[in-house]
Amino acid sequence: MRLLLVEDDPTLSEQLTEELTLAGYVVETAQNGIDAYHLGEVEPFDAVVLDLGLPQMDGLTVLKRWRAAGHTMPVLILTARDAWHEKVDGIDAGADDYLVKPFHMEELLARVRALIRRASGHASAELKCGPVVLDTRSGRVSVEGRSLSLTSHELRVLAYLMHHRGKVVSRTELTEHIYAQEFDRDSNTIEVFIARLRKKLPAGLIKTARGLGYRLVCPE
Amino acid sequence: MTRPQRPKRSLRLRLLAGTLAWIITTLAIAGWGLSGLFQQHVTEQLYARLATQLEQLTANLTVDPQGNAVLSGELSDPRLHRPYSGLYWQIDSVSADGRADKRTLLRSRSLWDTLLSVPEDAPADGVLHQHRVDGPQGEALLMLERLVYPAEAPEQGLRLIVAADAQLVSEPVERFNGLLAIALVILGLGLITAAVMQVVIGLRPLGQLRRSLQAVHEGKAQRIEQDYPQEIQPLVDDFNSVLNHNARIVDQARTRAGNLAHALKTPLSILANAASRPDDKLPGLVREQVAMARRQIDHHLAHARAAAAARVPGMRSEVRPLLESLLHVMQRLHQDKSINATLDKDSIAPIFRGEKQDLQEMLGNLLENAWKWSRGRVHITLERSGEQFTIIIDDDGPGLPAEQRQTVLARGVRADEQVPGSGLGLAIVSDLAELYEGALSLHASPLGGLRARLTLPAAGSQ
Repeated sequence: MRLLLVEDDPTLSEQLTEELTLAGYVVETAQNGIDAYHLGEVEPFDAVVLDLGLPQMDGLTVLKRWRAAGHTMPVLILTARDAWHEKVDGIDAGADDYLVKPFHMEELLARVRALIRRASGHASAELKCGPVVLDTRSGRVSVEGRSLSLTSHELRVLAYLMHHRGKVVSRTELTEHIYAQEFDRDSNTIEVFIARLRKKLPAGLIKTARGLGYRLVCPE
Repeated sequence: MTRPQRPKRSLRLRLLAGTLAWIITTLAIAGWGLSGLFQQHVTEQLYARLATQLEQLTANLTVDPQGNAVLSGELSDPRLHRPYSGLYWQIDSVSADGRADKRTLLRSRSLWDTLLSVPEDAPADGVLHQHRVDGPQGEALLMLERLVYPAEAPEQGLRLIVAADAQLVSEPVERFNGLLAIALVILGLGLITAAVMQVVIGLRPLGQLRRSLQAVHEGKAQRIEQDYPQEIQPLVDDFNSVLNHNARIVDQARTRAGNLAHALKTPLSILANAASRPDDKLPGLVREQVAMARRQIDHHLAHARAAAAARVPGMRSEVRPLLESLLHVMQRLHQDKSINATLDKDSIAPIFRGEKQDLQEMLGNLLENAWKWSRGRVHITLERSGEQFTIIIDDDGPGLPAEQRQTVLARGVRADEQVPGSGLGLAIVSDLAELYEGALSLHASPLGGLRARLTLPAAGSQ
């Protein structure tokens, strides 16, 4: 899962990046409104954590412009402004959630998880696909109750497929959501991860759509 | 520091310029009028004297048996005998149609060897004609003439003429004008002095006010003392009330800042102590004390906000659309908790007499509280009672025991320390409501949980 973190305070930005990366997200950061706006315009993100008081362009404007341009990724506003009229303004601008600073890291993680889950249309924190269960809170995967050990990249690939189960996911899409930096991206490694996942998971779960990408097929 | 803007026009200069222009105009018109009147009067007087001479001339005129006009006696005025004295008479013969036939029959000695030239006209019998003509020495003359047809020779008309030097009029008029000018100048100076004094004395309170304001500005005075004229006193009173309001706000802000600083010192010193003795408990301690500090900040910030709530007269906020937008926000913020929130459809649409943001703050906090405890239902009712309206928010949560319902509204007391921020919100609502002379009360709800009744002033519908 790929997150955009927009926060102008370098210390807080660093802390958040660290915690979000630990929680299994690929995090990109922006320190000002203009950069944030362009990143959101150009690259696909699964969720955005947006501060409001930003240099160059304030967060509400960034959000309004994204929404006006038709970008629907879930956005969580993280701000010190806690008056109700500010919350109303934030939600009206198109935010999906509003968290007031100071905050507990656990709460932020829970809310980001819920945002991503709801955006892909899942009601529960546990995603199921046949015998495979992914707990989005802990990042644990089990098959028929047995815990499965996965590397972080394997987990990211599986989590993305689980969130978009039944749909065809292209290799480019997978690389974009799994690697933070452009130079890391090598679509060949995706094939390696898929091959390893196929070995660890029950057979027939990950289908290849020739020339298009992969699809997670869940037996009823 | 911004440079003080140059005043556009001095009030004093404006008043003075206006008065001066008016005084000068009035005096000029008065002088012109008086001089004109005097000249008219002197001229009329001279004509009256000429008329007397003419009467005398007519009375003394006889016609001898040969038909020649003769004077039966000399006219009495000595000037008529002195050459070019400035007073003349002359008798011309007139043809039957009344026109002068340029024959002079008789004339005064004062004319010496000259004649008066008479404009060609034909006054009716007995009518006096006035003329302005040139005299024997080129001077201007005022002339009076009439036609006479003597009873002895009615076919032979006679033109009787008397004339006097126009200087008899212009000299006194010039003298009068000189005196009048001096009098008017003195009057004008007097009036201008009076106007200047009036403006200076009349505007003195403004100067005083400026000095008082300067003193306030420099911190030498707290307010504007002294009594001012009734035109300025309301301004001074308003200014004093603004100053008092400012002083109160500054005072409150100072107190709040002080309270906050003291409240934060405790967690900070605990943290500092813990940091100097590193042990395993540090993360837990930091977390706990940060939570404490956060609670203090929330508390003081909320109360500062409530205290600073501007109560500008004439503010109106519609309640219903605001409630609907807040419900939308609540649904958005708590998507994981499915709450069936209902707003009484038949209830009224009141208008809050106050600031929109304050109403949002109160309703937001009440809804937040209802959402936090509710198990699935929140119901909102609006009621109107005279000058006020009431918003009733019911939830189906656990509710509050009767003895806690009052204490939870007292400042900063928390009903439940486990749920973050709980209780504080209700205290803020209560504070804000009191600022608007409304009230928040808590009751048991028919839904099983807590019922919050918020009563606020209503604005009349337009």
